[in-house]
This record gives sequence, structure tokens and C-alpha cells, in this order.
Amino acid sequence: MNLQLPREAILIGTKEHAPDTRTFSLRMRDGDARFEFRPGQFNLLGLPGFGEGPFAFSSLPQVDGSFEHTIRAVGRLTKGLFKLKPGEIVHVRGPFGSAWPLDEVKGKDLLVVAGGMGMVPLRPVLLEVFSKRADYRRIVILFGARTPAELIYSGEFDTWRRQPDTTLLLTVDEVPPGTDWEGHTGVVTGLFPEINVEAENAAVLTCGPEIMMRFVARGLLLRRFSPSRMYTSLERRMKCGTGHCGHCQLGPKFVCKDGPVFRYDEVSGLADTVL
Amino acid sequence: MGEQVSAKTVKKEDVAGWIEKLQGDYAVIGPVSERGFTSYRRIGGPAEIDWGYGSTMIPPSKTVYVPEQALLRFVKSEDGYRIEEVLPRTEKRILLGVHPCDLHGLLVLERAFLGNIKDAYYSAARANVLVVGLNCQSVGDDCFCASLGTGPFFGYWMWQGPPQGCNALLTDLGDRFLVETFGEEGEMLVARARSAPETPADVGEKLKREAASREQIRKKLNTENLPGLLRRNLKHPLWRETGNGRCLSCTNCTLVCPTCFCYDTWDRAELDLSVIERIRRWDSCQDERFAEVHGGNFRSTREARLRQFVCHKLSYWVEQYGCFGCVGCGRCITWCPTRIDLTEIAEQIRVEEERR
Repeated sequence: MNLQLPREAILIGTKEHAPDTRTFSLRMRDGDARFEFRPGQFNLLGLPGFGEGPFAFSSLPQVDGSFEHTIRAVGRLTKGLFKLKPGEIVHVRGPFGSAWPLDEVKGKDLLVVAGGMGMVPLRPVLLEVFSKRADYRRIVILFGARTPAELIYSGEFDTWRRQPDTTLLLTVDEVPPGTDWEGHTGVVTGLFPEINVEAENAAVLTCGPEIMMRFVARGLLLRRFSPSRMYTSLERRMKCGTGHCGHCQLGPKFVCKDGPVFRYDEVSGLADTVL
Repeated sequence: MGEQVSAKTVKKEDVAGWIEKLQGDYAVIGPVSERGFTSYRRIGGPAEIDWGYGSTMIPPSKTVYVPEQALLRFVKSEDGYRIEEVLPRTEKRILLGVHPCDLHGLLVLERAFLGNIKDAYYSAARANVLVVGLNCQSVGDDCFCASLGTGPFFGYWMWQGPPQGCNALLTDLGDRFLVETFGEEGEMLVARARSAPETPADVGEKLKREAASREQIRKKLNTENLPGLLRRNLKHPLWRETGNGRCLSCTNCTLVCPTCFCYDTWDRAELDLSVIERIRRWDSCQDERFAEVHGGNFRSTREARLRQFVCHKLSYWVEQYGCFGCVGCGRCITWCPTRIDLTEIAEQIRVEEERR
């Protein structure tokens, strides 16, 4: 089997979060089989002439076979994707990579810490644990972004907050003049004094800029969270998804196939990461 | 593997006839020296082969894993683009006269491409290639194969049986070649030659020549606990001194390395966009943009990039593939414009750690 050959997916529709950030809903063109994947995994999406890039799933697999990716337009490929209209074709390779260990952390308090677009691979985590709410104990979500407008999925915040024994705390780096904001300001670690989970019985799932994850991990270690129950999702350049192109290497790890979700103590202290 | 090992000898005067016969069925690619420079290329005739060559700039493994190739093609159709797979043509080839370091280079490269997840393109390119090794009696100043167990003679016991992927092995015994074959395809190759069964004298001569060749090797790399040593010294000042002080980011070391597998992909479009090809070509961890993502670069300094090259070959590789990524061919040293030497880096780190 040639894993470098893309398959065609049809763009069903998009939902705008901000002018540069949208969720793309896709369905494979060949048949209506359910496209299976686990929260934390990713696809390589591509367009002829634009190349490919890795994008985390932002939804769970849907019964109609569709799946979602939330994408920020920052480069040539993503800007190309933003020009597509419903019914047009997106090339898909995947799913690739490791998933969040949602079975292993059953029975635990969950502390979910997201920074900016780092919420994308964590959204399917929330959707899954909310659908199996009794399997997990307290859920605390910390979500930080540069500005209130960059807090993606804000339309879902009320639903998240209404889940049993669930807390959502928001913070932003800056509040542009004229913006209505009643939440916290400052870095996401500034929310730590407000978290009410038991460190000894908690699992941490975090995704965001590495410098954020560094301070999240170190701050939580000081609060007696276990490094073997902290999980991070990492970003690296990726071309193949199969561990052959070499770009995503982090020490002995291939982020595309050994990751992108790693236990913190697997990657902490490696070269070329601040974790 | 359980493939049979057999040994015969072929007189030198019969070698030309043998190779001509092989050329009837195969494209023969071997070491050819022109203007003082040896390279692997398709030979016109047996006289072109330089049996006593030292090293080549580009290793033979990279006649299989070529610098640039198309992966697939997007062809404009009524409703967008049709996707066509482009697998490499598989002409029957013999890679002839490959020194043991480079034989290992090929086998090590294959752990990356033909491991748990197989690369369809390498697989197709390799399918019709037979490999005939040549034990090395022309050791160079930068060679340290003996330290890695990859040469100067091919010790196939390292692979716990005949290695898959090496079909036959030659040893120059003066007036004749010893030809050891591993498996059926190797047998078929030697069956085309006028040959005699191996004698005890041939075995003795081979051992004598192996010892003499080993004797020539001056350069050494202490591999004892080397992966761990490097992992403990990721912040050693030597990375900065050598990387930022001497490395030019020219990428020569990775281009000439027999085991480097990294590639980049890009789309090459016809001007009318009727056909767009997705191409892959060698990339290098020494290139500034290699680890760049939107908003950052995970290895923006030469210090970090040099450390990646050396630690990958001598440390990370062992965890990834169960062997070193270095075969001791010395090319990265030979072709470095500032003579950065990974064996010196490893040794200096070792000496300093032992002193601490």
C-alpha cells in the first residue's frame, strides 16, 4: 500500500470562528464508510500545486462519515484551502499519529490546558469525555489565547460549562480597546491557583506553543502532578506522515508516527525542545 | 534466513567475460574512475571498472534512493484533478563492487525505508537490484569502518545469517576473485562465470588480506555506550563551538552520507496547470529551513543542526532502528569544507566526561 497517495474528500461546509480561522467539514468521496480516527490524530490535507500540511482533527468521527479540521490561514496551503467552496475537493492522507490516552485516564480528574490553536486537538477530547461523562471525574479546562477573538469554539463554551462537575476558565494576553471581556488576563499558568483537581489523581492533557507547555508542565510538577500522567501534543514540520521524510524528528522520536501526543516524560529534556 | 552460503573463485582473466554475460541481462552499475575521481555509474564494459578504488563521493545506496523523483501526478480532468501514482521504473540492475561500509549503508538505509511502514517508492526502486559487494583493500585516511563493525571486510555474521539484500561478495585474492554468494540470486550470478570451488588456500589468503586491510585503518571511534554518552551531553559547549564556529550549513555531510534518508516534497506545475507533479528530493537537517514551521524554527542555529546530525547517526538511530546510523565510511569528514569530524566530537565529549 502506498501511503503517499492522497484520497479525495468533499468539502461539505465551513464555519467561521474569526476572519482567519475556520472549521472545515469534510467527507471522503469514495463511499460512505465512516472515516475512523481517535482524538489527537491528524490528517495531511493537500491541494494540487499547494502541497500538503498536517492538521489535527477537531471533531470526533461522525455517523455520516464526516470529520472536521479547524484551520488558521497563515500560509500558501491554508490560504488555498480558504478559497474552496462547498462541494470542492480536498486531498486527504491519514489518519496518522498517536491519540490522547483517553482509556488510560478513565477514573481520573482531567486537567485540559490549551493555548490558542492548541484547543483544536483537544476539542474532540472534550466531546468524547462529555459523551462518556461517568467514566471521568472532575474536568477542568484552562484555555488561553492572545485576544478574546482568538478563543475559538466560544459558541460552545456554555455547553461545556453545563456538563456535570466541569469548570472552564478563560484567559487572554491582551484585551483590545473596545472589546468586552470579563475573564482573566495573563498567561494560562496564572489560572493555576483556581484549579480544584487532586494532583495525585489527575491526568493533564495540554496543547499549545511549546513555551506555554513548558511552563504548564513545570508549574504543575511543582503542584505535585505526575510527569507520567501529563500528555502533550507537539507540532513539527511534516511531509510524509510515515516516518520517512525525517522533518519531524525530535531526538529519537518521529513526531508524525510516535506522536504527536507524547507523555511529557518521553520528550522532556530532548534536544531542540523547551519542554 | 537460512539461505545457503557458497564460495567459488573466478580467475581474473575470466572476469571480463563474466561481466559481459551479466551485462546481457542486467544494467551493471559499478565504480568507474575518471580524471582521478571515482563514481558509481552504469558501465559500458568490464574494463571501466576500477577494482582498486578507494571511495566515491555519492554512495551506491543513493543510486537506489535517487536525489529527486516524482511521487504522483495530478492530471486535470472534468471535475478537478485525477491522481496518478508514479512508481519508479524497475530496470534489472546489478550494483557491483560495493565496499562493505556501503553495503551496510544500503542495509541501514533500508531499515528506515523498509521497516514497519514501507516506502512504496524505495521498495519499487530496490525490487530489481542485485548487490555484489567487494571487500575493501584500499583503506583511506577518513575510514573508520572497523570501529563500527562494517568493514573493511564484510562480516555477514553480524546479521545473524546471510544479509538480505547482499547477493554476492567478492574478495580480490591477487590473480583471482573469491566469490561468496548468499542465496539463490547470488548463485545465479556466479553460475554465469567460469569458476572453481573454493580451496583452503583461498580461505587462508582471504584471512591474510583481511588482516592486512584492517592493519591500514588508523581512524577509530569508541562506540562503547556512545548513544547514552551523547544523550547526556546535549548541552556540551562543543556543539556551539563547532556548529556555530566551523559549520557552514553547506549540507555536504548529509548529501554524501549513505544512510541519510530525509526528503522534502514540492509540487511542480505545468504553466497551464494541466499536470502537476508531486516531487520528492533529498533534504538536509543542516539546511536552515529543515525544521521550520509557521512562527518558528526548532533548529534555527548551526549548533542545533550539527548536534542533530551527529546525535542522529551515533545515538538516536540506535533507538529508532537498532543499529548505528553511521557506517564509518568517512565521507562526511572527507567532504566537509571545514573538516568537522564526528569521531573527534564524540571522542572529545568522552574524554571530558571521563575527566569530570
